[in-house]
Amino acid sequence: MAQTHDTRPSSDRRPAPGKPAPSAAVRRRGPDLLPYALVAPLAVFIVGLAIVPAIYALTQAFFRVQVLDPPTRFNGVDNFTALADNAALVKSMVNTAAYVGIGVTLSTVIGIAMAMAVQRKFAGRSLVIAAMILPWALPGVVEGIVWLGIWDANVGLFNSALTTVGLVDQYQVFLGANRWLTILLIEIVQVWQIAPLSALLVLASLQNIPGELYEAAALDGCTAWSRFRRITLPLVRPGVAVAMVQALILTLNIFDQPYVLNGAAETGASLTMQTYFISFQNLDFGQGYALSLVITVATLVASFAVVKLVYRRVEY
Amino acid sequence: MVRSRAVRSMLVAGCVLALAACNGGSGSGEPLSAPTSNVTISVVLASNPPSKAALDAFTKETGITVKWTNVDWDSLQTKITAAVAAKTYFADATNVDWSRVGQLGKLNAFYPMEQLMDTAAMAADVPQLTSFTAGGHVVGIPYDASFSVTTINKNIYDKAGVAVPTTMDEYTQGLKAIKANGAVQYPLNIPFAAAEGLSTYWYQTTGAFGGTVLDDKYKPTFTDPGSPGYKAAQWMVDAVKQGLVPPGNINVSDTQGQQTLMAKGEVASTFSDYSGMIGSLYDDPASSSVVQQVRYLRTPGAAGPGPNNSNPDGVGVPRTAKYPKAAAIFIKWFTSAENQADWAGINGVDKAIKGYPLPSHVSAVEQLASKGQLIGGKELAEMLKTSSRPIFPGGAPSWYPEFSRTVYTSLHSAAAGEMTVDAAIKAIADTANRLSAGG
Repeated sequence: MAQTHDTRPSSDRRPAPGKPAPSAAVRRRGPDLLPYALVAPLAVFIVGLAIVPAIYALTQAFFRVQVLDPPTRFNGVDNFTALADNAALVKSMVNTAAYVGIGVTLSTVIGIAMAMAVQRKFAGRSLVIAAMILPWALPGVVEGIVWLGIWDANVGLFNSALTTVGLVDQYQVFLGANRWLTILLIEIVQVWQIAPLSALLVLASLQNIPGELYEAAALDGCTAWSRFRRITLPLVRPGVAVAMVQALILTLNIFDQPYVLNGAAETGASLTMQTYFISFQNLDFGQGYALSLVITVATLVASFAVVKLVYRRVEY
Repeated sequence: MVRSRAVRSMLVAGCVLALAACNGGSGSGEPLSAPTSNVTISVVLASNPPSKAALDAFTKETGITVKWTNVDWDSLQTKITAAVAAKTYFADATNVDWSRVGQLGKLNAFYPMEQLMDTAAMAADVPQLTSFTAGGHVVGIPYDASFSVTTINKNIYDKAGVAVPTTMDEYTQGLKAIKANGAVQYPLNIPFAAAEGLSTYWYQTTGAFGGTVLDDKYKPTFTDPGSPGYKAAQWMVDAVKQGLVPPGNINVSDTQGQQTLMAKGEVASTFSDYSGMIGSLYDDPASSSVVQQVRYLRTPGAAGPGPNNSNPDGVGVPRTAKYPKAAAIFIKWFTSAENQADWAGINGVDKAIKGYPLPSHVSAVEQLASKGQLIGGKELAEMLKTSSRPIFPGGAPSWYPEFSRTVYTSLHSAAAGEMTVDAAIKAIADTANRLSAGG
């Protein structure tokens, strides 16, 4: 809302003829507290449930916090060195890096393709978009259970389809037998969940691109591929960057899908699963906090890198 | 003026809310002196509740109202751990699983039940009470009597002309004969998914070979290739290599194996199944295609029937409970022999708890068996009385969850061919040695 300021010297600030002079109380009125009071509950909520726990976790990462073996005491970077010596954790780091690489790449590519497919208006477009975002609305555990029925080696739908069309003569083991295949299949399930959100974010950017640019390009004889490469992709970068960051955050924190589909097996265990094991099974909260801090820092650094590499300010 | 009053009111309300949020304690006063009637207690278990009529009758009798929350087992363990770590109120009565007894006992997170009720009097009728004892204190009262038991599909055995086995050798030869006969392609169900069910399976198989996995000082007893634990691991992995176990079982959990293999007649036997599965699953026409085909078997052991490992669920009173004595009154009622028989359906489905496995009181199991209302009841009562034993004679160690995770991830890897049995055994032993030494 536009505001106007009275720039006249104070000596000129006299009441208009016929209007009463303002009282001293009104003239000396202090700052208006109402906006602060209205915002206060939200501020308390955010500080209490986000900032304070984050600071607490950050500090506790440098303490030995073992519920089974008190007391809590400062131990410097011991939690971090212990994590570095944990072979299962190192394996989970590699697994998580693979989840991130596959997940961010696939969800971005598929998200752009989905967004392009629904960019133009057509009959039933709203229904298609609604159906498209359905996997995103489902909880990860539910998706894991659904896909368990697809990948299952004894009674799975995928095996059934492969044998029906004659591609294999007996049921194959997909999950658990080979580490990289297991990671790929688990990540496909997560991509199925997060690609719709990527599509919506990219779609929002696509809608902003002026149609005149495409018309001009068509007049200049550009091919569809050329228009996509020289107009769409450069102008959709803000949406792609946001989509990639959300995919990065979700894949870096993957838990439900590997836990439901592959149990605690090291072939697919992720970093957040290790945080859960260390904190809630081993009851070593100090190391749990330390690992959470590592994941947070990794998320921030990687997100920053994606924004620097992909995001470009776009003006039409 | 009005505006200023509104601002002040909001700030005061904010402060009150903030103070309320900060007050995470369970209230003032000594909990043990809290009233035992005209109170509402919170009960959080991974179980359906008794019927409303039963709970109403309990309220009428005692003045205690029960607010029941059913939470899935895994989530419940996380919530209990979080509450224990934060020392905050979670429930007045909640789950104490056999595997968490050592951990919860060491944390002194639950009231010793012997202080709240006469546990000595129930010991004779509740043999699995020993699984809930840590440091000389009873941490929880078992409300079911789950134990490991071998199940076989008698039709498949008969079709293949294989006699009911009594030893491990006979059992193994029988499975091979069934496979050779072609009655089923893969006769044995072993849930090799990296989950708790795989650890339980190994403990039971170790028992069948005549041993336990940890000694009374919690040191590993399975490192020697001739030891029961080593033999059990080798036997399980060999069963995969010999084609006795479906290859897909590498990622099948215990419940999946029961539902998709055993209940569908895809396999002939589950060596370490759970008591009560015939009544609750295999003989349920809605979810099974092998109704009246599956039988309980005395555990085939090294030279005759082996033991049955207990893995029951219990209920205890957290130290942060608001009404511990009222909670104890509820537990006494909930776990009594006559009510357990009701929960198991002795007086009809109206009084039964859906999915209730098996009473922890031998007398209740015998009642059910004598009335013909428990499939395999006679055998189960006999096993509960004579061969059911705790997995760890001294109670589960406080570090059990970490140990078990190493067990199931290592055995899973061995079955998947990622490591040898020897390497798996070494990994498990190293973990047990480190943890038992306090590392």
